[in-house]
Amino acid sequence: MNAPVIRADKLSKKFISYKKAPGIKGTVSSFFKRKPIEKYAVNNFDLTINKGEIIGLLGPNGAGKTTLMKMFTGIIVPSTGELNILGHRPSDRNLDFRRKIALVMGQKSQLWWDIPAMDSFLLLQKYYEVSEQNFKERIEEMGTILNVTSLFHIHVRKLSLGERMKLELMASLLHNPEVIFLDEPTIGLDLVAQENIRNFVKRYHEKTNCTLILTSHYMQDVLALCKRLVLIFDGKKGYDGAIGDFEKILGNNKTVNFNFSNSQNIEEDFWKQYNPLWNEDSTQVEIQVPEDEVRAVGLEVLKKYPITDFQTEKMPIERVMKTLMENPDILRNQKTP
Amino acid sequence: MNSLIKSASHYFSVYKNFVSTSTQVQASFRTSFILLIFMDLFFYISSLASVSFIFDHVETIGPWGREQLMFYISYMLVIDAIHMMMFSHNFWQLSLYIRKGDLDFILLKPLSSIFSCFFRHFRTPALITFPVALFLLIYYGIAVDISAIDWMLMPLYLTLSITLIILIEFILSTAMFWMVEGTGINFLRMQMQQLARWPNFVFSDYIRKFLTTIIPVLLVGSAPVQFIYNKSRFELLIVMIVALIVLTKVLNTLWKVALNNYESASS
Repeated sequence: MNAPVIRADKLSKKFISYKKAPGIKGTVSSFFKRKPIEKYAVNNFDLTINKGEIIGLLGPNGAGKTTLMKMFTGIIVPSTGELNILGHRPSDRNLDFRRKIALVMGQKSQLWWDIPAMDSFLLLQKYYEVSEQNFKERIEEMGTILNVTSLFHIHVRKLSLGERMKLELMASLLHNPEVIFLDEPTIGLDLVAQENIRNFVKRYHEKTNCTLILTSHYMQDVLALCKRLVLIFDGKKGYDGAIGDFEKILGNNKTVNFNFSNSQNIEEDFWKQYNPLWNEDSTQVEIQVPEDEVRAVGLEVLKKYPITDFQTEKMPIERVMKTLMENPDILRNQKTP
Repeated sequence: MNSLIKSASHYFSVYKNFVSTSTQVQASFRTSFILLIFMDLFFYISSLASVSFIFDHVETIGPWGREQLMFYISYMLVIDAIHMMMFSHNFWQLSLYIRKGDLDFILLKPLSSIFSCFFRHFRTPALITFPVALFLLIYYGIAVDISAIDWMLMPLYLTLSITLIILIEFILSTAMFWMVEGTGINFLRMQMQQLARWPNFVFSDYIRKFLTTIIPVLLVGSAPVQFIYNKSRFELLIVMIVALIVLTKVLNTLWKVALNNYESASS
């Protein structure tokens, strides 16, 4: 059994903000009197992560994912609760701790905007005291895998978002961190760039067995990298377990789509048992089929109806996630491991 | 001792890269680079010219004649040049780091966050104007005939002075963590520099005492220069060293509290 690398116990973070009425009147009034509004971004959050695990930390916007990441990295201090990462309390901001972690934020950059990335790498080399040989090897290796060696000497402000993100990843991994926090690393990237980043992270993890915590709104990222999911809603943990179990959280049904060459009779009893969703001209249907009946039902439909195309759901996780976001109360009745 | 040397060498190697990266950034904006040089030179000329103008109409200001005050002004111009070169830009950046959340990455680096915040940006154009300030110091130093020992101790005097003024400014800047908007603090900081530009005897008794003990900004130039002129005036130097120790402690405590108060910008 691996020792926990991250252990959070009843972790909470409270932020205080102020409400301001619109216009100059509201401005004057809020200048003299402000009514504080307290909000828990993270509330009583427990989590244990073992060495080498890749965790997908998911939740809607404003759920508290980034706040958690910032507490994990020691950027902000928890209001209450205990947090231990690699034997350190992050809020102590111990220098040894900072050498062991890395944070990549899809929406923020640590590269200097007005100089080429290589100059930022050189600065990071000094920061983390990476030996000349290791530095060269890592730059060469990561640059080749990510196909960005030709971009090292171009000013960062001239690069595309995808190119910059690859270089951001490199910058964060130069010092060979033990725990890596990836906060929406593929946000805003095109499909090819997303896939490149995913493949790189996967390969890096296989090579180093680092511990990875990933937040993303793209389920492809999660499916490609994570075996375990942690869901956060309104600062509270909603689910913690295997992806396979998560996909079945709404039941064992699979979604299957059929396209027909002509309009069908939607009143037929055969369809009703599978909770059908028809398109307007009744040439397409989506049905929910118990997982162990997919083959039999599929064969029957193919035999009885003029099918032109059919698909089984590729990413049930996306459907489950969407349903839970629309109705987080479903999780209250679920037991998490 | 070994670890201290290792740590110092680590900081120095990072600082060399700060200088290098800052220089590259500034050199890519050539007009601004040249303008900054002229701005500094204009400031030197106006500082000296205003004092010279006053001395066209009076014989002395307090106990000092023209050369003595010109030496003081030159001493403060060197302090100003070092300040501009090494620190000035960083104070303006700090409030941006806090507001935009860029401080996040600084806090992750395995070095003192005070160092990473306040030493990160180096103003290279000041490297060109710094020798001018140094020349003025030497010129007026010869005019007031300062001793060989004082010339040897000059780097120490300058180090004490610059350390004192930046400690005061670092402490004031921690308020940005609560205020978030840093313009007010930055103007207050600049007012402190303005006060230090004049010898302590131009201020009335109460103000002088306040600005020597509570916010010891008047010690920055007056303590070393008065000691240079008169070796029996060492008491201000002692107060200056005590102030340096106290302010270092205050800064470390306040900085820790300020960082714990940091909320980072939402992404």
